[in-house]
Amino acid sequence: MDIGFSPAEMRFREECCDWLHANVPVEKRPLDAADAIGFDKAWQRRLFDAGWAGINWPVDYGGRGLSIVQQVIWLEEYAKAHAPWIGANFVGINHGGPTLILNASEEQKAYHLPRILKGEAIWCQGFSEPGAGSDLAGIKTRGRIEGDELVINGSKIWTSFAQVADWQELVLRTEEGSRRHAGLSWAICDMHAPGITIRPIRKMSGLTEFAEVFYDDVRIPLANVVGGLGNGWKVAMSTLSFERGTGFIADQVKQSQEIEELIAAARANGMIKDDRIADSLAQLRAEVAAVRAMTYRNISQVVRSGQPGPEASVIRLFTSELGQRLERMAVMLAGEDLLDFAYGDDNMVQDYLRGFAATIAGGTAQIQRDIIGERLLGLPKSR
Amino acid sequence: MDLTPNGEQIAFQAATADWCRDHMPLEQARARPDGLWDQLEAMGLPRITAPEANGGLALDHATEALVFAELGRVLAPIGLLSSAVANRWCAAPSGGKVALALTVDAPGPLRVLDPVDAAAVLMPQPGSVRVFAISDRPAAHRPTIDLSTMQSRQEWAAAAWIADDIRAPLHLQLLAAAFAVGCADAARDMAAEYAKLREQFERPIGWFQALKHICADMAVRAAVARSQLYYAACALDANEADAAFHVAAAKRLADQAALENGRANIQVHGGIGMTDEAHPHLCLKRAHLLQFIAPAASAALLAA
Repeated sequence: MDIGFSPAEMRFREECCDWLHANVPVEKRPLDAADAIGFDKAWQRRLFDAGWAGINWPVDYGGRGLSIVQQVIWLEEYAKAHAPWIGANFVGINHGGPTLILNASEEQKAYHLPRILKGEAIWCQGFSEPGAGSDLAGIKTRGRIEGDELVINGSKIWTSFAQVADWQELVLRTEEGSRRHAGLSWAICDMHAPGITIRPIRKMSGLTEFAEVFYDDVRIPLANVVGGLGNGWKVAMSTLSFERGTGFIADQVKQSQEIEELIAAARANGMIKDDRIADSLAQLRAEVAAVRAMTYRNISQVVRSGQPGPEASVIRLFTSELGQRLERMAVMLAGEDLLDFAYGDDNMVQDYLRGFAATIAGGTAQIQRDIIGERLLGLPKSR
Repeated sequence: MDLTPNGEQIAFQAATADWCRDHMPLEQARARPDGLWDQLEAMGLPRITAPEANGGLALDHATEALVFAELGRVLAPIGLLSSAVANRWCAAPSGGKVALALTVDAPGPLRVLDPVDAAAVLMPQPGSVRVFAISDRPAAHRPTIDLSTMQSRQEWAAAAWIADDIRAPLHLQLLAAAFAVGCADAARDMAAEYAKLREQFERPIGWFQALKHICADMAVRAAVARSQLYYAACALDANEADAAFHVAAAKRLADQAALENGRANIQVHGGIGMTDEAHPHLCLKRAHLLQFIAPAASAALLAA
């Protein structure tokens, strides 16, 4: 075991660092999805043109074909340089793209992957429904096969970036009368197709980052199904495994910046003299260090065996809850400034309110604990 | 960068686990057989990182931390920690077991752990370790809360030998963290096994989310602590500038994992978990003992 990087990797780190320092935008990313879309697309295009998009994606589809270790190095430097969140490109880069790489046909990959990397195509997720949250297999949105088309009816909810998306990773029931995990398919849905209605939902922080999506006889080509008809559950799980595996590395490395900023803030306002605050900060700093160690361990596992280890779900759970502890500490250090929060403010209170998503989206903390109990410890399945 | 053990490390770890199962099981922690220390010496376990000149295996801290986590899982003798540090950093090591004195700031009475049949005592200090002769009065040996560990009292003695190397006390802190990681693993596994066997309401109690989530949290704490242990061991091996921070972080997280898992294990076991006969209390009591060995101070974790 070692934590050193090779000379080639260190040179790569320098290149990342140099480029980021010269190119990270001075202006802040606008908060709301509708305002930020232009910013997000332009930034992604700049990353692509300079060779920083899809570092470990295959060369044939516009990626660099480099290692996952280099991807991690890039993300570490990205966080250190305070580069902007990839925003509307998140789903395409972190779920849609990787899922296509694993499951899609050559035509699907050749068409979609370069567009995702260039920031030309924005993706959103269509998994949750009003009646299918933690119980995702309760999906009711259906796709009737008519000739070479799917005719879609139903609704999805909590769809981030629906308002600005071009494509959606849509899980729907394509076999009439099927139940639970059977009879589902994972399809690429054109968000501009007739029959789609989007109702933005305002969050408690004032932002409208997610939406409800209604489908009324929406027609998409049957050829848009990925991984074969009826295999939707398997394909969807490979999407979620990115979330639970390597999809959140950017967040993990960002936490190491956040804790240093909190310690600096507590030193500046003198609150670090309170032993309880000092001890909480010390604890958080140890936990953030452990997140990096877990990330490195997980990456090493991927390099060694090609896939994340079973402990990937532990990282996902621990990181999401640690993020919330960091956000709470930031709010605590801010003191009475919390009371001045107004909708749309871009500050630590905004982050705190938004941060509740971390233990709900992509599988609640409770579902993650079920998974850890059942897959890691072998306890009996309760569902 | 690679934080997964290589083939040789996995083999050493597995051989240690096998040997422990046969010769030093957790179930016998409160009464170890005579001659156990000689067997540990014969296996080279107190000399994994010691130089070859000291009869050591001259391996790295990463390998040693992996093996010590296995030893910690069966609540192995505390004297392994101090002996391994003495054998690594002491130019002329004593022949046998070295007991461990808890740190005191100024000369005064010392609490010595695992003094039975020890030849010397090691005491960590900020930035150094001291080794001195043991006041050998077996009649004065007393039990500790950890039924596997005896203690004695003695006066601060002139050091026979001082290692003025910051890495020596860090080495002790790292090994104590490894013991705590093993202790947390043991409690987790004991709880998960019991939750599969014990039935109430006509099903294993591990079926219920209330119990399943307690066990999942035990797995999280153990995995978090183990990952940081590996990182810290590598940082010490590479003599990184922030090794002291990473070792302190490993100790902090491992101590918490051992203590919280120790407590949760008793809750999962219910009434039987309260008894002297069952094993959960052995892990809890060991966890409490480990808290006092090279604890991770907030200041060390907040240092720039």
